[in-house]
Amino acid sequence: MSVISEAPKLAAFVRRDFRIAMSYRMGALGGLIAILTQIVAFSLLGKLVDPARMPLFDGTRATYVEFVVIGICLNLTVLMVLHELARAVRTEQLTGTLESLLVTPTRIGTVQVGSTLFNLLYIPIQLFLFLAVIAVVFGLDLHTAGILPATVLMLEFLPFVWGLGLIAAGAVLTFRRGTGAIGAGVALVGLGSGAFFPLSVLPAWLAHIAAYNPLAIVLSGVRDALIGGAGWQALATPMLELLPLAVASVSAGMFLFRFFLRRERRLGTLGLY
Amino acid sequence: MLVRDVVCRFADKTALDGVDLAIAPGEIRALLGPNGAGKTTLIRVLSGLVKPQQGTVFTCGRVGLVPSGDRSFYLRISGLENLIFFARLNGLKLRQARSRAQELLEAVGLAEVVNRPVGRCSHGMQKRLAVARALLGDPQVLLVDEATHDLDPEAARRIRELVRGIADQGTAVLWTTQRVEEVPSFADSVTLLLQGVVVFAGSPAELVARAPTDRYLIQVCTRDASGPPQLAAVQLVAGPGTTITPTNDVGYFVLASRNPRGVGLAVARLVNGGFDVISCRQADSEMEEAFLALTGAAA
Repeated sequence: MSVISEAPKLAAFVRRDFRIAMSYRMGALGGLIAILTQIVAFSLLGKLVDPARMPLFDGTRATYVEFVVIGICLNLTVLMVLHELARAVRTEQLTGTLESLLVTPTRIGTVQVGSTLFNLLYIPIQLFLFLAVIAVVFGLDLHTAGILPATVLMLEFLPFVWGLGLIAAGAVLTFRRGTGAIGAGVALVGLGSGAFFPLSVLPAWLAHIAAYNPLAIVLSGVRDALIGGAGWQALATPMLELLPLAVASVSAGMFLFRFFLRRERRLGTLGLY
Repeated sequence: MLVRDVVCRFADKTALDGVDLAIAPGEIRALLGPNGAGKTTLIRVLSGLVKPQQGTVFTCGRVGLVPSGDRSFYLRISGLENLIFFARLNGLKLRQARSRAQELLEAVGLAEVVNRPVGRCSHGMQKRLAVARALLGDPQVLLVDEATHDLDPEAARRIRELVRGIADQGTAVLWTTQRVEEVPSFADSVTLLLQGVVVFAGSPAELVARAPTDRYLIQVCTRDASGPPQLAAVQLVAGPGTTITPTNDVGYFVLASRNPRGVGLAVARLVNGGFDVISCRQADSEMEEAFLALTGAAA
């Protein structure tokens, strides 16, 4: 089972999930409606915010809509990646297909990535749609020069989230019901990240802690790039800060997921739900 | 397939305790045992889903699994799409996977429902689909966990014929079942598990030889039409060495004798003693008797 022989299997997972998604046509429509509703809600909230209270990003003052759009995008990314990884395992358990997958000559990593790939590919499409609609309706003034550095920073952030997702998936494998805890965790991280409001409005001690939140680091960097037009040099610091966190998160995630999987195999409870 | 001294414990329960098993190419070995005996655990150990604490499992080539559960497919997509997906996980390219899936769907008699979502297929169809999936990787060992458990006789027969055909091509088959009556005409050998321990391993004929009694259902009536035959009268006439047990139906009794000639003697005595013996046939399968005797459930 080399990496090369495993790669085509990922396409098989995507094809499977595409077929399944097509059998739930109303689900996709519901997702789009949810995003559009969020846009309307936050645009109305934005009218209540005093523009003078908004922070500066690389010298540029953001509007609330510009500020919160980036926050929502990143928060949605974290939520969806974490949720997807845990959901994939849980869904296979519930549909009774987890054991059928594991008896095939397929690496567990391939099963893990493959089971989430379709929905993870769907995330950027949703976010792009979200940003496109916002840009047209509210006339967002984002710096195109900042798109590439911001994207690289976000890509560097993904392994960190992926590692957390593996831990969540492992926990779901063992404790069965963990998606509620994931939701609570994401809400807490979102609260302390400045996704929906500037960190300066938090109590001083909480704002101090929140500054070390990896999501807050990424959000600040992405806003600097897209709102303030900051370039590679300005984003070097958050990129360097994220690197060890990403390595640690992925390592811990892989170790813990394998640990939980071995435990379930030993106890003979892998297929239980 | 060779299994040596496999021990498997879950918390304080020993599910398998020193299990030995060998299956030759082309052989169908039935794995019998009451609920909780460890049959499914053994299948899961052999398929790599459960890691035993002790012992060795040696399989010569790929292993195919037909799981016992009802739900092992993606119900929203068709049988063909399910098989294509699993075929690709077995390393086949898309075109090969499609061709292999279609070939197997035809082999299991599901060619006419290839595009039907699995959720709309009958239970028997899903079982046949599970057999087809197990064959995607051309396995040398096929593990079948209660494939006929809740199928109607015709569907069960089709599954058995299918598996027999696969074994005839050289695949070693381990067939777990609760339907002991299907074993004599289907399996080449039998292993009986009880509380995780192998209590019998041999041929179906050797297992039948363990049956303690011959039991026959007889229908009798009184020759003088004086009323329904009474148990005490029938027992008295049948004589010692033969046990007569009443059934819920008037005139029907179960006759059991350890003596090979006991049944004939008892029938002759009943006829000479004023009864007409209208019918006489074997009551339970001998295999079931042997199973019950060996698992201690006969009483």
